Amino acid sequence: MSLIILAIGIFGLITADNLIKKIMCLSVIENTIILNFISSGYITGAAAPILTAKDIATVDPVPQALMLTAIVIGVCFNSLAIACIVKLHEKTSTVLVSELHEF
Amino acid sequence: MRTHTLRYHVQAAAALLAAAAVLLPVFLIDVPWPAAARDYLEHYGVGDSGAINLVSAVYLGFRFFDTLGETLVLIAAVCGTIGMLTRAGAILPEGFDASGMAHGFTGEGEAPDTPTFTIPVEKPKSHTLRTHLLEVVTGVLGPVVLVFGFYVMLYGHYSPGGGFQGGAVIASGIVFLALGKREEVTSMLTQAPVLYRIESASYLLLVLMTVSGLFAGSGFLGNPFARLFDESAAFIMVLDICIGMIVGTGIGFICIAMVGRKVS
Repeated sequence: MSLIILAIGIFGLITADNLIKKIMCLSVIENTIILNFISSGYITGAAAPILTAKDIATVDPVPQALMLTAIVIGVCFNSLAIACIVKLHEKTSTVLVSELHEF
Repeated sequence: MRTHTLRYHVQAAAALLAAAAVLLPVFLIDVPWPAAARDYLEHYGVGDSGAINLVSAVYLGFRFFDTLGETLVLIAAVCGTIGMLTRAGAILPEGFDASGMAHGFTGEGEAPDTPTFTIPVEKPKSHTLRTHLLEVVTGVLGPVVLVFGFYVMLYGHYSPGGGFQGGAVIASGIVFLALGKREEVTSMLTQAPVLYRIESASYLLLVLMTVSGLFAGSGFLGNPFARLFDESAAFIMVLDICIGMIVGTGIGFICIAMVGRKVS
């Protein structure tokens, strides 16, 4: 499943002309990786890793903790990238890659 | 949308194939996730960190140094975003640009008539998306969302939640308050100086907490409360509060700055 979404993201990243769409595709790829990690630690039928009772099967908390970091960094990355695009738009008054080649 | 040539499509397909060749083995790999860390956490995680929520135990106990750096990344992103938006000639809401921040940090003199985020109500034409419905709903929901965010933040060691998640909910609450604000109703939480002072103070507290273990005899990143109470989750709770405030104010700051931006 995450493979299909990854393919969509990479295809969009390559073919999109608009820089903002490229950023959106990067977010899609990032979410794919998060999905992949979470599903790799998932055990069908197991509970969340909160040990309220003894001897219950829980999913692996390690990838979840890793991806918590990735989500926050993703937010930072998105905001910085959008700020970069605003700056670029102010210099060149375009966000299309095909028009940026002319500068 | 301009028409793409055939060559362009061939290039795109080739790049996609190359990416697939690199990434397919990573996704199709069938080796199960190593269970050593999970087993260790199941046996010792609660006892070592005091948090029943094992995810909290990992990122605030066993891997706290990484979390410390991550909050630093968040603050760097906030600084970079605001700096770049200001340099790009965008008119940020008053107090959210670099000059307002420089003025605020001195703390001297009179505040420039309380820089707040308000979109003028008397000009509805230029803000067609801003309706009275939006104002009323977000204004009422904002405090409720804030309370829920604090709940998620404070119970992170005990239930699903934690500093980052609660911080994100708090950020949406702050944005709701900012969107729902009218001229006569103001909230301290949507003012830029309040936001970044909370953020700075939280980060200072976070750094102090990491160092305080040295003086309490449990080492760097150690739990300073270990000798005071038996309830060792207190340390994780304090860290959760710090991180929640940093994330909430940071993301709220970026959102308000971007929402209120008027292109000159």
